[in-house]
Amino acid sequence: MQATLKIDNLTKTYDQGKVKALDEVSFYVDKGDICAVVGESGSGKTTLIRLIAGLEELDQGEILIENQLVASIKKNTAPEKRDVGMVFQEYALFPHLSVLDNVTYGIKKSKSKKETALETLDLVGLKGFEKRYPHELSGGQQQRVALARALAPKPSVLILDEPFSNLDAMMRHKLRNEVFNIIKKTGVTAIFVTHDTQDALAVADEILILQNGKLIQKDEASALYKKPQSIYVASLFGNTIQLNKGLQTAFKCPLKEDCCHAIRNENITVNEDCDYVSEAEILKRTFLGTHSQLLLRLDNGEHINVVTNEPVLGNTLRIGFNSKDVLAFEE
Amino acid sequence: MNLRTKFFKFKRDLNRWSLLLLLILAIVSIPILTIGLKLFNGPGESWEHIVDHVLYDYLRNSVYLALMCSLIVIFFGVSSAWLVSRFEFPFRKQLEWLLILPLSVPAYIMAYAYAGIFGYYGLFQTMSARLGFENISLDVMNIYGLSFVLSMSLFPYVYVSSRTFFLAQATNLLEASRMLGISELKSFFKLILPLARPAIIAGLVLVLMEVLNDYGAASYYGVSTFTTGIFRSWFSLGEPETAIYLSAILLAIVFGLILLEKWQRRHLKFSSAKSSKQNYNSRVLPSKTNQVLFSSFCFIPVFLGFILPVIQLLIWTEQTFSKVWNTDFIMISIESFGIAFITSCVTVFTALLLLFFTRWNKLGLLKSSSKLGILGYAIPGVIIAIGVLIPSLTLDKWLIQNNITSKLILNATLTALIYAYVVRFLAVAYQPLESSSLKIDRSLSDSSKVLGEGNFKTFFKIEFPLIRAGLLSAFILVFIDILKELPLTLIMKPYNVNTLAVKSYEYASDEMVSSAALPSLLIILTALIPAIFLNKLLLKNASNS
Repeated sequence: MQATLKIDNLTKTYDQGKVKALDEVSFYVDKGDICAVVGESGSGKTTLIRLIAGLEELDQGEILIENQLVASIKKNTAPEKRDVGMVFQEYALFPHLSVLDNVTYGIKKSKSKKETALETLDLVGLKGFEKRYPHELSGGQQQRVALARALAPKPSVLILDEPFSNLDAMMRHKLRNEVFNIIKKTGVTAIFVTHDTQDALAVADEILILQNGKLIQKDEASALYKKPQSIYVASLFGNTIQLNKGLQTAFKCPLKEDCCHAIRNENITVNEDCDYVSEAEILKRTFLGTHSQLLLRLDNGEHINVVTNEPVLGNTLRIGFNSKDVLAFEE
Repeated sequence: MNLRTKFFKFKRDLNRWSLLLLLILAIVSIPILTIGLKLFNGPGESWEHIVDHVLYDYLRNSVYLALMCSLIVIFFGVSSAWLVSRFEFPFRKQLEWLLILPLSVPAYIMAYAYAGIFGYYGLFQTMSARLGFENISLDVMNIYGLSFVLSMSLFPYVYVSSRTFFLAQATNLLEASRMLGISELKSFFKLILPLARPAIIAGLVLVLMEVLNDYGAASYYGVSTFTTGIFRSWFSLGEPETAIYLSAILLAIVFGLILLEKWQRRHLKFSSAKSSKQNYNSRVLPSKTNQVLFSSFCFIPVFLGFILPVIQLLIWTEQTFSKVWNTDFIMISIESFGIAFITSCVTVFTALLLLFFTRWNKLGLLKSSSKLGILGYAIPGVIIAIGVLIPSLTLDKWLIQNNITSKLILNATLTALIYAYVVRFLAVAYQPLESSSLKIDRSLSDSSKVLGEGNFKTFFKIEFPLIRAGLLSAFILVFIDILKELPLTLIMKPYNVNTLAVKSYEYASDEMVSSAALPSLLIILTALIPAIFLNKLLLKNASNS
């Protein structure tokens, strides 16, 4: 498949080179794919998409969109000439323009401007809202107008910057699926930034992990979940327990010395037969609704925190895990 | 990063906006560069005499004025700002905006009024005679009187800057302090005053710049300052070189002040502390006695800075109206308003270019140095006038020598005057524009660009409609400043043109001070518009923050 977006060796510094926001990042996104960029705040996510959109200038490397060089040390194509669409975190709807005027704004063909805008509004389920102004819409509706506005000019690449961070949890899940169904329907190549790994797992074809400006892993969602390359990546996708020497002794599981090992909390079993087990005493229970958090003391005195949705009676139990679930990372 | 990469990046980021920005910066910095360059030509003949005999006086008087004015404006400005933003008392709402009104009375007009009030058979003597005190007189036409007059017309700068701080920031901190068992008065001195320091000093620096800029009041009261000294060397001694040397010293003082202000703010970002909205209206209700005390206290600066001088001007106007009100006066008014109108348009337009060219330019160094363009406001008008006169005269001479023209086409023309005004008042237009444009989320213009519109179209479609209020306030503020401006206009105005400010100065210096009242009142009435407007804006900002 042909790559729509190609990033090569991208570096960006701030404060006269003192702060490295992006450090030699390289990757590509195939046509029609949805790529999620995940990282903590300050990891360089926003810098990456602003560079792709042309809103900042790079310090090293190249950006190619549809095989056209748009940014390098010698060249910087203006954002308006990059064929990129963007949905901003705060939506950035023009407050003095109606919904229709917002959506029409970026459409170049003068003949079918209105039709295209109406079609796109229909696509996002906002038919009949044309004459309203942004302040007359709910958060979810504003989000959809922002999406329609970005999609209407039919860009090669669509960027979404933390698109759901302003919505409450209920709205978020509903809208997430809706939005990405629409994006899939249009077939546009999309790159979206999020700090919520659940969003990324749910909708992305590929996920890119940034840490301190460095790209540390890029993979499909299931591969990333099953084979994280570091404990940091593993912990982004759920509660992870590092298997240190003490825990290895308690569970009687001799593991390779030159590796770092961990186990996901959901792979820990309670009172079941499995490869490695240990008796444990419950020191503290915290009721958390659908599940409970237990602070346990193992045979050899090691402490461990475990979350379980099994009903636990009495003060002792047996916990364990299977060898196939152990995650190993090179140190 | 090696030199090669740096060069490529420079070439990539250099766009037409960078060049246009550079052009604007070059144009507005001509006056200062002129002063700097002319320093190398050496001082005039009288320089040694000036250094030996009068320089010390200039310095002493200017420093004395600065100190006295600082004390008075801080006393009245900060205390009244604190009272109206913290306590509830009779007429508080009215006093809140009345305290801004003295800003509409230019210092030189205040000076004429007070000279009249305390002069022979003035208000003071007549009143005291009626009370049975014959032959009491108070001479205000000296450096003490000048300090008082300047302070009374300028204290609102400190009042406004500290009140903005008090309204936005202070309440929840103060409540925390009271909960910890510290009394109101102690909290004010221990907590609020140190926190408000950057805001107070920011206002104070504006006051000091105006004090150093003043020519009209100082020359009328016969006090020698740097500004009057520069005038004297240029016009009486006919020595531009000496005027330039004095200007350079004054410039050094002004830049010193700016650096001092920046230094005192170096790590302080108090104003970014979050304020709580609901506290905005929670003023404390003091005891009955204190309420009367607070009302009376806040009334004092209003009375001295606005009501009393305006009464004097009204009395004079009544006496001289039939003499002053004639076609000449009407013509001068039209000219004055016309010049202010045209110049305000040009200034606001230039400020707009400076603001947006800076944004569109991508060279970091140029971006960070573009603020140099608005330094003119700190530079006394008389220095800008000299900095414009010298190059325009040189250019005219060159044009005549080369037979390109036969007369002066720049010197002593409206073009040169408007140019000088623009240099001086660019900051006045720039600041409201900048603050209103900063309120627009950056992502709005970003998204317009991503949607395919360039800088120009984005400006007209998105930014312009959203900064209209800023444009209006920029226009009004510049308009009033130009209407009030005296020293620069006095030097630069064409012979056949006059303004209200210059006319009132001419009347006053020709011993016809009572005739100066009508043009002065007209200036004050016009200047009242933004004084009220500014207050509304301030309240709106405080409730939004």
